Amino acid sequence: MQHKFDVIVIGAGPAGSSAAYNLAKAGFNVLVIERGRKPGAKSMFGGRVYKAPVEKAFDDLDKAPIHRWVVKERISMVYDEEALTIEYDGRGRHSFTTYLTDLSSWMADKAVSAGAKLVTEVVVDKLLIEDGWVKGIVSGDEKLYADVVVDAEGINRLVLERSGLVEKLRPEHVALGFKEVLKLSKEDVNKFFGLDDDEGLAWVFMGEYTDGLPGGGFLYTNKDSVSLGLVIYLGHAVKELERHVYDLIERVRLSRIFNKYFRDARVMEYSAHMIPADIKALRPKRLVYNGLVIAGDAGGFLLNLGYTYRGVDFAAYTGYLAAKAISEASGDYSLESLSKYERYIDESFVGQDLKRFSGVHDLYENRRLFKEYPMLAINMMRRLFNLEYESTRFKDAFNESRKGVVGLTTLLKDLWGVYRKL
Amino acid sequence: MSEQVKIKKIRLEDMLNNNVWDVDPRPHITVDTGKCKDCEYKPCIRLCPVGCYVLHGDDVLFSYEGCVECGTCRVVCPEEAITWEYPRSGRGIHFRFS
Repeated sequence: MQHKFDVIVIGAGPAGSSAAYNLAKAGFNVLVIERGRKPGAKSMFGGRVYKAPVEKAFDDLDKAPIHRWVVKERISMVYDEEALTIEYDGRGRHSFTTYLTDLSSWMADKAVSAGAKLVTEVVVDKLLIEDGWVKGIVSGDEKLYADVVVDAEGINRLVLERSGLVEKLRPEHVALGFKEVLKLSKEDVNKFFGLDDDEGLAWVFMGEYTDGLPGGGFLYTNKDSVSLGLVIYLGHAVKELERHVYDLIERVRLSRIFNKYFRDARVMEYSAHMIPADIKALRPKRLVYNGLVIAGDAGGFLLNLGYTYRGVDFAAYTGYLAAKAISEASGDYSLESLSKYERYIDESFVGQDLKRFSGVHDLYENRRLFKEYPMLAINMMRRLFNLEYESTRFKDAFNESRKGVVGLTTLLKDLWGVYRKL
Repeated sequence: MSEQVKIKKIRLEDMLNNNVWDVDPRPHITVDTGKCKDCEYKPCIRLCPVGCYVLHGDDVLFSYEGCVECGTCRVVCPEEAITWEYPRSGRGIHFRFS
């Protein structure tokens, strides 16, 4: 192995492989260091990727391991094993489902085909910092040198932490995502969710499945399986969650609404990962230092709107921008020169989205969204639709369901809050 | 309706049998369980998604073999009792369908 590289990339996830691919294409001598047995072995996500940003970062996306194109979106409020659901049945091909394990492998293969070197089964312990410059990385007793390092280590950013560049993660800054991947036949996936062979469903739900705690659930249809999972915000869960998180996800699978899909299902995998939640708090003071650029989850780049999660496409795009900034730096990897990356981020849809939706995280502090409103919604539906003799007026159904649950002024205030922040 | 439900809860240990690990003989996590006695909520017990932490009387028992390396325990531990590293040499969890 050569002693010094142009660029060392920490982590062969979507951000790291995107940076490595674009830098290798531009002629840089790139080394990617991955701790897993192969790229993707440590990767986990909910289940859906938005196409456009990934297509910008990688050529030939049509050859990627895409399972289904999401044409159906469902959002449900769940209370007492009943759901009120909004469904959008569109014809768009804007996002797709996949296993991130496979997609990460594909992305790393692209980087290697473009000329990047990949080493697996190596854990980076910390950055090699000399005289205020990042000079490379340290792994065990070994030091590897590079002109510039791209840190794409993921949300659990031990390298940045040990190098003193970020604080330790706090519970209120992150969420826990965990899921069961359940094997069904392709025909059953199509039949159960009303899909054609390459069509997919993205279904998010909130309410009782998180015991009223901030968070929500998701179901994504893969080719011949379903990813069923939950997201729990750790800040609240630390003190308030009264049972094991595994019991929460099992309750979803066994619930009246979902169990009918899984009677013949076989478990393929059970996985978990942390998710950036408080984006403002997670953003490192600087995204660049002398000889260092931070991309992907490590920079806190993830958008969660409750009905849409965007992590993989943000990661791939920030990796792409990291490569762009490094390519344009003409060998000057000082903080001043690389700060172009921060500008690219802030001007891009990633920075704009995160700024525009910066208030969304506060919505999660409003516990009524997870408890009182799903209850109100279901009680209203019951009054409207579960008729025997007399029919119910909409306003009576609403007022009777609301009484004693939430005051009218509070409700209007909450509605205004959601309207303003979303 | 509920009496028609055919599917049963899967025990966590059976659920985990679907995963693949190459367990590092050297633990990548160590817990100073002495600190756990004073811990009021013991959030690791409920929040570790694979149940690496279990309560035995007042004591926290820990095993690292089923860890999926999410890092949650380290973040939620209020006592700073957990020393957490990634497994080395490609060991640990090996996701295939996530």
